[in-house]
Amino acid sequence: MILAVVEKEFRMFFRYPLRVISSILVGIVFLLQFVYFGQAVLGGRYSALLEASTGMGDYPTYALIGYVLWWVSVSPMEAYVWGVRRELQRGTFETNVLSPSRLTGLLFGLALSWLLMDSALMAVVFALGAALFDIPVTIPLLLKSLPAIIASLVAFLGFGFIFAGLVMLLKNIGPFAQIFEFAMLFLSGVFFPLAVMPDWVISLSKLFPLTHSVNIVRTLFAGGGYSDVGSSLLWLLALIPLYWGIGYLLFRWAERTTRVIGYGGY
Amino acid sequence: MKAMFLFAGVKWVRGCGMWAVEAEDLRKSYPKKIPLPFRRVEWVEAVRGISFRVRRGELFGLLGPNGAGKTTTIKMLTTLLEPSGGTARILGLDVRRNAREIRRRINLVAEGERTLYWRLSAYENLKYFARIYYVPKDEERERIERLLKLVGLWERRNDLVMNFSRGMKQRLAIAKALINDPEVLFLDEPTLGLDVQSAIFVREFIRRLVDEDGKTVLLTTHYMAEAERLCDRIAIIDHGKIIALDTPKGLKKLVREEETIEIRAKNIEPEKMSSSPFKMAVIERNPETGVLRLRAQVDEEELPKLVEWLVRRGVKVLSVERREPTLEDVFIKLTGRGLRD
Repeated sequence: MILAVVEKEFRMFFRYPLRVISSILVGIVFLLQFVYFGQAVLGGRYSALLEASTGMGDYPTYALIGYVLWWVSVSPMEAYVWGVRRELQRGTFETNVLSPSRLTGLLFGLALSWLLMDSALMAVVFALGAALFDIPVTIPLLLKSLPAIIASLVAFLGFGFIFAGLVMLLKNIGPFAQIFEFAMLFLSGVFFPLAVMPDWVISLSKLFPLTHSVNIVRTLFAGGGYSDVGSSLLWLLALIPLYWGIGYLLFRWAERTTRVIGYGGY
Repeated sequence: MKAMFLFAGVKWVRGCGMWAVEAEDLRKSYPKKIPLPFRRVEWVEAVRGISFRVRRGELFGLLGPNGAGKTTTIKMLTTLLEPSGGTARILGLDVRRNAREIRRRINLVAEGERTLYWRLSAYENLKYFARIYYVPKDEERERIERLLKLVGLWERRNDLVMNFSRGMKQRLAIAKALINDPEVLFLDEPTLGLDVQSAIFVREFIRRLVDEDGKTVLLTTHYMAEAERLCDRIAIIDHGKIIALDTPKGLKKLVREEETIEIRAKNIEPEKMSSSPFKMAVIERNPETGVLRLRAQVDEEELPKLVEWLVRRGVKVLSVERREPTLEDVFIKLTGRGLRD
């Protein structure tokens, strides 16, 4: 059933090549803006200050890793918010709910599809970024990073259920979700080191899986190993059940309430 | 162990009973605002305690004006909405406790044309729904082909739904609703907005589903003629309550032929009609000629008074005739107004 949802979403997305191209272009344009802005502020590609606080002094590599991981991490939330909203607008949401398939399974399929599609797009953006900024990337390095990336995405897949529940209930929560997405962009050290932020922000940032996954991947790209990022890894593994637990409980409450007021449409 | 067998046996017997749909004092209230914790909300009653039963293999109609509670009822019966009170059973299964089992055995053609994925082809739509309804893989292809041929869309199977006419979309929606071979099929206003030919196709198709395939069908409509021609029994629903339930013939017996009057008239202001002391309703308006057709239930003594009442209000009466009662007359008799009022 999950595969059926993935197949359907892929068909609808890749049926329009222009949409795919524009998504990649948007990804590239934002990346370039941030990288060039960062380099202008730092006065060049390398920053000793950045290296001292994060272990990685090459700004394009630093930004590219953070940016690509952020984009992919928010895609389950985007799927739950915009994907579910689109189904509500289409009028197909109730048709899905009516099937004997579990709603959580259908929504997970939706989030997984968006995650896979965004991953494919971001793989292209990452490759282009690496080529453009001459960043050395090897297959073993990517494979080594994969467990941390997957752990982070698994956490976000669970957390996104909160948004799925809220969309069913409140319908239009896009702006709220966007605030959350951009808060994560700033609070996870995507484009600048968290060391420059106040202590309470640093503490808060630990609750975002993205903070830990970017830290791990950057360390690996800088030549370190998993043993150097033990605490980030532990945080990440602890956040997975926490995010899934909170996400699932809130979703179930929202689903029960929605059955009282009706799934409805727009 | 014995108790388990006994319990399973009771469940089986209930599941195999003669009733496909049972509603007892079914109620539904909607909150005016989202009922968040610690928030006091007002509730509006949409369905106010309705009871009816539909036999297996019966074509049952819920007839009523917009806002009468038809769609809400159908949504409760199809497990999409939680009833506020009363009970509802489908094939002997409780809608609150056995939602998933019920969903395997029923399907719904919802109101409106946007229940399909417009960016998928007809075939891809049915394939998707076959998968989420767990249709066995080895049957999937054959079933989709059979259904698409049945609704006359096999030749257009690879076309995107967005390029289909409204009638074609509705035919595909019906095929989609048959993908799990449901024992009970719910149809919410199945011919709403269709052209005459498509509506005829849909009506004949629905009738065949009952007569030839033995399906149980519960449909909602606000088209009198549709309900009259199609349904074995009809429940007339108004303001969330069933006000009459019988066969079309039985319902029409509620209105005596000699009481049914049809008036053709001009210069009618609808707001003046609402204060009428007579059971009367406008059933047709001709925007080009300005001529209206009114149906009224009045006896011999009341008829001259009605005509006089109309004339005093500046209405130009063109003709007055006795007519055979229709379901529209039944509704006027029961509620004092027309379905479209």
